[in-house]
Amino acid sequence: MMKKYFDDLVGGIDTALNKDPANSSPRKLYAREVARLGSRLYSGTEKVAWCGVVAPFDVLNAMGVTSCYTEFIGAMLASTGMVGSFLEKAEHEGYAGDTCGYHRAVIGAMLNGWMPEPDFLIATSAPCSGGLAVMETIADHFKKDLFVLHVPQDESESSVRYLADQIRDMTGFISDHTGVPLDRDVLKDAIEKTNEARRLMEEVYQLARAIPSPVDGRMLGNFGIVMALLLGTPECVEVIRAFRDTFAGRVENRTSGIGKEKLRLMWIQNRIQFRHPLIDLLEKEYGAVVVADELNAITWEPIDPEDPFEGLARRSISIPFNGTIDRRIAHLKKQAQEYKLDGAINPCHWGCRQGTGARGLITEGLKEIGIPVLNLEVDCVDSRNFSEGQLKTRIEAFTEMLWERKKAG
Amino acid sequence: MGQKKGRIGFTCAYTPLAIIDAAGFTPFRLLPVGNWPDQAGRVLHDNMCPHVKRVLDCAMSDDLPPDLAGMVFVNSCDAMRRMADAWRKLRPDDKVALIDLPTTAEPGSVTYFSGQLRMLSDRLSEWGGNPVTADAIETGIETFNTVSTLLREIELLARGKRLSGGRSRMQTLYNRASTEDADTMIGDLRQIIGEAPPQNQSSAVPVFLFGNMFPDPTAYALFESSGAHVAGDDFCTGSRLFAPMENHISGDVFDRLAQQLFAHPPCARTVFPSQPANVANDILQRTRASGAAGAIGHIMKFCDPYLTRMPLVRNAFKEAGLPLLILEGDCTLGSIGQQRTRIEAFIEMLR
Repeated sequence: MMKKYFDDLVGGIDTALNKDPANSSPRKLYAREVARLGSRLYSGTEKVAWCGVVAPFDVLNAMGVTSCYTEFIGAMLASTGMVGSFLEKAEHEGYAGDTCGYHRAVIGAMLNGWMPEPDFLIATSAPCSGGLAVMETIADHFKKDLFVLHVPQDESESSVRYLADQIRDMTGFISDHTGVPLDRDVLKDAIEKTNEARRLMEEVYQLARAIPSPVDGRMLGNFGIVMALLLGTPECVEVIRAFRDTFAGRVENRTSGIGKEKLRLMWIQNRIQFRHPLIDLLEKEYGAVVVADELNAITWEPIDPEDPFEGLARRSISIPFNGTIDRRIAHLKKQAQEYKLDGAINPCHWGCRQGTGARGLITEGLKEIGIPVLNLEVDCVDSRNFSEGQLKTRIEAFTEMLWERKKAG
Repeated sequence: MGQKKGRIGFTCAYTPLAIIDAAGFTPFRLLPVGNWPDQAGRVLHDNMCPHVKRVLDCAMSDDLPPDLAGMVFVNSCDAMRRMADAWRKLRPDDKVALIDLPTTAEPGSVTYFSGQLRMLSDRLSEWGGNPVTADAIETGIETFNTVSTLLREIELLARGKRLSGGRSRMQTLYNRASTEDADTMIGDLRQIIGEAPPQNQSSAVPVFLFGNMFPDPTAYALFESSGAHVAGDDFCTGSRLFAPMENHISGDVFDRLAQQLFAHPPCARTVFPSQPANVANDILQRTRASGAAGAIGHIMKFCDPYLTRMPLVRNAFKEAGLPLLILEGDCTLGSIGQQRTRIEAFIEMLR
């Protein structure tokens, strides 16, 4: 069923693109690649690995493994409106309702037989302890081999070497399960594509900082974290280039992504994955546009294609969710200044200890540079507890406050 | 043993007590037992580990030892890392160290952890004003081996119903051993071993208790007054912190300490990649080995490493045909008191 869903999605987008090639939005190209990934995961013919969020997907792609972090399943089920029954299944089986909705959805999908059986799993200690526990549970359920990457908390030389060695060992583990050794030339080519994707992503984010911004509140939603899955592939480069070209044209023409831009916002951590009216409300009622997402950022240097392991390690360590909160707050402050933001929205994804667990510290940190934060208290996956009315009221009050501040200079 | 330079606070059972001792400090576990106003939720989030919140409540109430010379945190899980973050914000003048604990006990991880211990040793040297020597760490290991061995002996007495005061008193000893000077403690523990056993042997039902942490002696008294005899347990505020280290192994002292800390009974946060769900089998085996008629898990609310693995534990017990009761708590006696009826019913069922 899921294979058909993704194939239909790919077919639908292809038809639309063929019908009107001049009107091919980059978001359509992005959605098509996500659907293709979904189709491959559910194909039953590909080597599949379920992974942690900061696994080096370019290495896995170079080794012919269709790989994805498990949270993708939770987001996908939420976006299709089907997540409720999977969450209930997990809760009925004893998974606590106050844990992360992404993870409960994944467990529910696994228990209901909706999760593709992996050939092996590669867990990562970052970004969260909960995710690691879920990977262990999936490995036990499918009786598949598990490899764990411990992502150190800092970028000291010893930490980088430790993770680089683990990634090297990981390639051996993958070869043992695919029967195919790592081809250094293929990996080199993949890393070159990663670097090209990185360069283009930097351009995309640079363009998004323009005033007015060429983005609307949806175009770059989930962008950085999802594109990580496609790193090392030509499709990744193609999709990012399409965003770059679209934004470059808009910036040249001083075209705003939403019409009249009045307020510029940042979305902290992850987006709400199910259908909701908040982005529309922000844009249509208040001219407030989400121009920045916390994870839409390049936090790593280009990787040496000849000897990529230390560069790959540095990349995994560099994600804002890893390490102490000071690193993350510094990252958020930098983004706030680069994007000339008026405020930030933190959905405070329910059950997220590493992210939401730092709610108060993040609010205080951004306050130091005059950026107010709206903490929403939403489960980004579980639509059952979505209090639309309350959230609208809070957003209205927040945007009005921001607008008054802006007018007052 | 010379004059101590003050106390070093810690909060995790993976903390290398021997290094703190070698630096001339007394390790002092900040236990989440006390009556402090509930304030930490606004610093972090209310949906956070109660252990972490209670320790921060304690700090925010300034209810800390006057001679607290610094804090050693372990990055053992998200909540513990956030506790270190919050501590730094709340008490910016405190000396704070955060050591990174690998997720697995693979050889590379042990080597990395050894490096983290070495860094901690350097930091404690700075704090104490004298270099921490390998010899001093060896002495620290011996000291805590003695404490651990004596506690193990008393634990066996408690399990055999030969310790007056039972498991509740045992917990008082664990709490004292994690907060008081080790040398004083050794004398007291030896004295307790020499005590006469209680006259009346109760007919309580043997159960195995497990979970993340369970530091309040009064809570054990509640179990005991409900008809349970604690035949064995596994908490980071108990036997998990005090496991003797094998001292016949040669080699670098930090490597050995790192190996040994991973050889302690594991917290659910530690993953054994070759044996996923190891925690479930481990608890089951230990329950059987203790001769318990069933097990009671007491899990701290919002603890992802344990909560996510509890269904695996439940399935393991179901398949084995062993009764299991799972309780959720928040470090307050009130939360466990509310479960009294369930505990009593479970014990009755086991009779």
